[in-house]
Amino acid sequence: MSDNYRLGVDIGGTFTDLVMVNDNNGRLFDEKVLTTPDDPSLGVIEGVKNILEKNNVQASKLKHIIHGTTLVANAIIERRGSKVALITSQGFRDIQEIGTESRYDTYDLFMKIPAPLVTRQWRFEVPERIGPDGQVITKLDESSVVNVARAIASSDIDAVAVSLIHSYQNPVHERQIREILQRELPDIIVCISSDVMAEIGEYERTSTTICNAYVLPTFTRYLARLTRSLHDLGVGRDLYLMLSDGGTVHESTAAIYPIRLVQSGPAGGVQAAAAINKVITNNDNQGNILCFDMGGTTAKACLVENGKPMHANEFEVARIFRGKKGSGIPLKIPVIEMIEIGAGGGSIAHLDNLGLIQVGPESASADPGPACYGMGGLNATVTDADLILGYLDANNFLGGDMQLDVEASKTAVKNTIADPLGLSVVDAAWAIHETVNESMAQAAAIHALEKAKRITDYSMIPIGGAGPVHACNIALKLNLSTLICPPGAGVASALGFLVSPTSFTTLQGGVVSLSQLNFKTLKKQILEMEEQGRNLITEAMESKDDVDVEILASMRYIGQGYNVEVEIPKSVLSSQNISEIQQLFEVVYLTQFGRIESHMAIEIVSWRVVTSGPTPTIDLAKARVGVQSDNYKKGERQVYFGCKNDFISTPIYERSKLEIGQKFEGSAIFEERESTIVVPPRSNSYVDKALNLIINLPIKDEAELS
Amino acid sequence: MTKTKKFSALQVGIVWQRLNGLLDETAHVFVRTSFSSVVRDNWDFAVCLMDSNGRLFAQSSRSIPSFIGSMPRTLKIMLKRFPKETLSPGDVMISNDGYYGTGHLNDITMIRPVFRDGKLIAFLGSVFHSVDIGGAPSVTARDSFEEGLTIPVSKILIKGIRNEDVIAFMTDNLRAPEETFGDIGAQFSAYELGIKRLIKILDDEQIDDLDMLVEEILGRSEVAMRNAISAIPDGIYSDEIMLDGFDEPLKICCEVSISGSDLSVDFSGTSEQINRPVNSVLNYTIAYSAYAIKCAFDPYTPNNEGSFRPITITAPEGSLLNPLRPAPVWARHLTGHYLPPVIFSALAKLIPDRIIADCGSPVWNVYFSGKLDDGQRFIKMFFMNGGHGARPHEDGPACLSFPSNIATVPLEQFENSVPILIMEKSLIADSGGAGEFRGGQAQRLSFKIISKHPVTMTIRHERVKYPPRGLLGGKDGSAGCDYLNGKIIPAKSRVELKNNDVVTFDTAGGGGIGSPENRSEKKIIQDLKSGAVTKEAVKRDYAFIEKGVS
Repeated sequence: MSDNYRLGVDIGGTFTDLVMVNDNNGRLFDEKVLTTPDDPSLGVIEGVKNILEKNNVQASKLKHIIHGTTLVANAIIERRGSKVALITSQGFRDIQEIGTESRYDTYDLFMKIPAPLVTRQWRFEVPERIGPDGQVITKLDESSVVNVARAIASSDIDAVAVSLIHSYQNPVHERQIREILQRELPDIIVCISSDVMAEIGEYERTSTTICNAYVLPTFTRYLARLTRSLHDLGVGRDLYLMLSDGGTVHESTAAIYPIRLVQSGPAGGVQAAAAINKVITNNDNQGNILCFDMGGTTAKACLVENGKPMHANEFEVARIFRGKKGSGIPLKIPVIEMIEIGAGGGSIAHLDNLGLIQVGPESASADPGPACYGMGGLNATVTDADLILGYLDANNFLGGDMQLDVEASKTAVKNTIADPLGLSVVDAAWAIHETVNESMAQAAAIHALEKAKRITDYSMIPIGGAGPVHACNIALKLNLSTLICPPGAGVASALGFLVSPTSFTTLQGGVVSLSQLNFKTLKKQILEMEEQGRNLITEAMESKDDVDVEILASMRYIGQGYNVEVEIPKSVLSSQNISEIQQLFEVVYLTQFGRIESHMAIEIVSWRVVTSGPTPTIDLAKARVGVQSDNYKKGERQVYFGCKNDFISTPIYERSKLEIGQKFEGSAIFEERESTIVVPPRSNSYVDKALNLIINLPIKDEAELS
Repeated sequence: MTKTKKFSALQVGIVWQRLNGLLDETAHVFVRTSFSSVVRDNWDFAVCLMDSNGRLFAQSSRSIPSFIGSMPRTLKIMLKRFPKETLSPGDVMISNDGYYGTGHLNDITMIRPVFRDGKLIAFLGSVFHSVDIGGAPSVTARDSFEEGLTIPVSKILIKGIRNEDVIAFMTDNLRAPEETFGDIGAQFSAYELGIKRLIKILDDEQIDDLDMLVEEILGRSEVAMRNAISAIPDGIYSDEIMLDGFDEPLKICCEVSISGSDLSVDFSGTSEQINRPVNSVLNYTIAYSAYAIKCAFDPYTPNNEGSFRPITITAPEGSLLNPLRPAPVWARHLTGHYLPPVIFSALAKLIPDRIIADCGSPVWNVYFSGKLDDGQRFIKMFFMNGGHGARPHEDGPACLSFPSNIATVPLEQFENSVPILIMEKSLIADSGGAGEFRGGQAQRLSFKIISKHPVTMTIRHERVKYPPRGLLGGKDGSAGCDYLNGKIIPAKSRVELKNNDVVTFDTAGGGGIGSPENRSEKKIIQDLKSGAVTKEAVKRDYAFIEKGVS
């Protein structure tokens, strides 16, 4: 056996998922083990052992391991990070606590504000000042840094974050401080903001730097444990980690910028959808994808065009108030842009003070879970409604590993929703299902509008445990005609890791008006950024030449608060042509906002350079082998779709037994171990060459609704 | 209150959710295609849906309080000039009359009738803030004529065609007509989408009679509000609050009467209107009063006029809170922002769990105008919030906007645009009012001029003479203060600044709640450690001698 394998490992809240690919023949293998929250590396090792043993693969054949984890996000959400001190410019140690000063909820007098990660007694100021142009106005007082170092020396501080005003323009003082601290406090970790994220905006830059320092010690300890255990297993290769923007990096880079891993799992899911998108685009010419990922407590949606997910440069972690946007900690990091909706299978349905049904944001989580789990939950959840409506099979949940209690679901829905409203249990369950779907459809529609996209131009790829159950109904509400349900939707993130390139984004902020752009300095700066990126990604690459470089400028009209991302080809930098850059900006601006303002001056706020290695491919058409089987139909059951107010007898199929080219008419249920695909009446479905189930929905022609 | 059984809870729930969603979509289309930064960045606008009777049943969710509930009153006045039966599809009515709208000329209201099968079924309207409206609005304005152009109720589109006369009048009276018309055009396209969506929802849900559905929505909202009010004992609860004012202090008197499920607020006894631009027209008075009541009684119901049916708000004609033309009104927030605190304090003993102590507001701002190095003129505004009032069970957050909702600008952005350095932005010790739950801390901001050209600074700050009040035994927050080169200057002034001058603003701290004696030792020690309070203040306010804290 001389075959080579690559492995993707994703640690989620409940399960650790593994997907392994044989690079010689493209075959995929899955494995799922329980996550071990106290030391997540234990679960990983168990999973790796299992997947190798079950498929008779030697550890030494693992050429590449890519890992994503919720560890970073959880450390912040659960506030289990390290003790951090902060050093700021004189006069600004409270920037973190003051924040944006705005309310994320207009009417709630008691909206919560997250407490700063660094308490005030550990926030230090040092005399120094750099101007907006990068000029030193006041030189750094080194002796005051030494004094701070002494105060920290006698404390239990593990890491220091340094964030000075305008350091993105000139990092000299931050670097000086780092030197002094490293000299005075050799055991303490120092993160400086110009290194973590050299972006304009003191509040977000500081908060990103603090979070990086906050998770860094825990993360590096975990990495060390994991690599040691993998080594003991006989895995000889270095570890790679998945970043939030869909790139992967060597473990040594991840250990410097752990905050960039904060969304690694969901990013993997989108990357998997993007890979499927590329295949489908080639075959059937379906360009745009809405990736819809619904789990137990939240749902996420992301727009993918021609295999490229949308990107953003900011993210909010650890929302503390009803999942509301604005109630978390802001981060400036490159991410795949997703909207998050506070509703999942575990979300609880209740009546508000108007007597109307609301779903979420409270969730039954894993314990006690939905009423049907039979673990004492009395609230009606989305999963309970799905069970009553016939979408889920009480005897076949998680492949039959978990027996569901329909009567418990009915009792919960009856007591909390049906009786108070005078509805039947089924009508109440349908109301819960409709309500949660409506809010998800609305969130997706508004997200598309914000991005100036027409949602009806997209096909949906549902992933996550609850995604495929709700996807068709949501798609109907959005007037989307096509759904693509890939096999193995439950391990999509780990699969996504295997199709993600090694990649790193460097960023440099600094406001310059376009008319005053100095191409000479700019070219030098871009080259330096490219160099840094190359150094970080080519460490383990076979060919150092195979690097793709993308240059992006964040631009706007002077005076505006909205930036647009403009890709600037390298040739434009060489031709030193300002009007070309202006045209590139105007094209993007016009698409986004529907007009251009020719009388307004333009400025550039920051530059990003994305250096990427080649994107590994998996031939998804060969990845899984359909099982020849006649007994793919498991039977029929009564399923409720809201039409004619009655249950419809619906065929139930075993997803894993479908073959390429099979066709289905009308309503259907396709059961997998981790999820169930619910197809409504009047639809047509078929299995494509890569074993994706393609569903065509009966939508109305909405051409006039642009 | 009539109730119809025609719609099920599911249908009302879903349709209402869709209607609110359609307004948020419409709002997004407006934002995406607008030009001005007040729309883009501050969302200083609202989109509303009213039924054929002019009843407001849905409003975009992210609007600021000043837009609550005023549009139906504006619509009523518009319909006097253009009766319903004379309206055609594609008409858009417009007016910015502050006395009919939201209280100052900068807010332009436009309303478009919605027709379905030739029948008028609804009105879709929006109101937005235009940064310039001509004239010369300033703290010295003596009447509303100085404050800019009044657009009387007229049609800006007639059957979808531009009314060039109205547009020409406006163009010639505005300094930046392309920006204002850019935003107006953006709203026209937003209406198109909103109307299509509305018709689709009605078709999908097979709703023939929108008014009946609206009655259901309003009825449910009304019941929720009535239930909340009924839970409170009948009675008359009153309080008053002092405003710094200009030459003389001003006073707002507030009497809240509760009788069964009805609640009324009357402002009799309030100071008379003055010839300075702080008069709050009745619509604005109603908006901020209704906002306070909604926050306290029913914060979660989506905005619609059903919630306000049980509520009556009155103020004597000719008073600061119901001025007569042509009283100047431009800076009406300097009065309006006092309404939530005085309503809360009147109700404090009654519903101590649902109110907050005074915040360090009206929001502070500063205008700087001068020349850049290249000689180009600049005008820059900077907002500063004070401490938030304490809450019934926790300390007030530091520097959080209330009752308006205005974010701060990153100082690195600010310094990149004007020749002014910010030297300090820090929390002020002992600024939060003492109490079982402490008021939120205020902030100090220092600006240093680094320009060879002079810079003119305009400020108009409140809460300097009368600090934010504590409630239920809590102490007052700190008063605000303005300094030029270390010397106190008047809080309402216009000053010429030269190179190296430093101006410093201490915003006001939030009031405390509950007797300081009841504050936990743990919290006091925490505050000492963080520097939120000094040892001297702890001795004075809490009669607490710290042990082992140095």
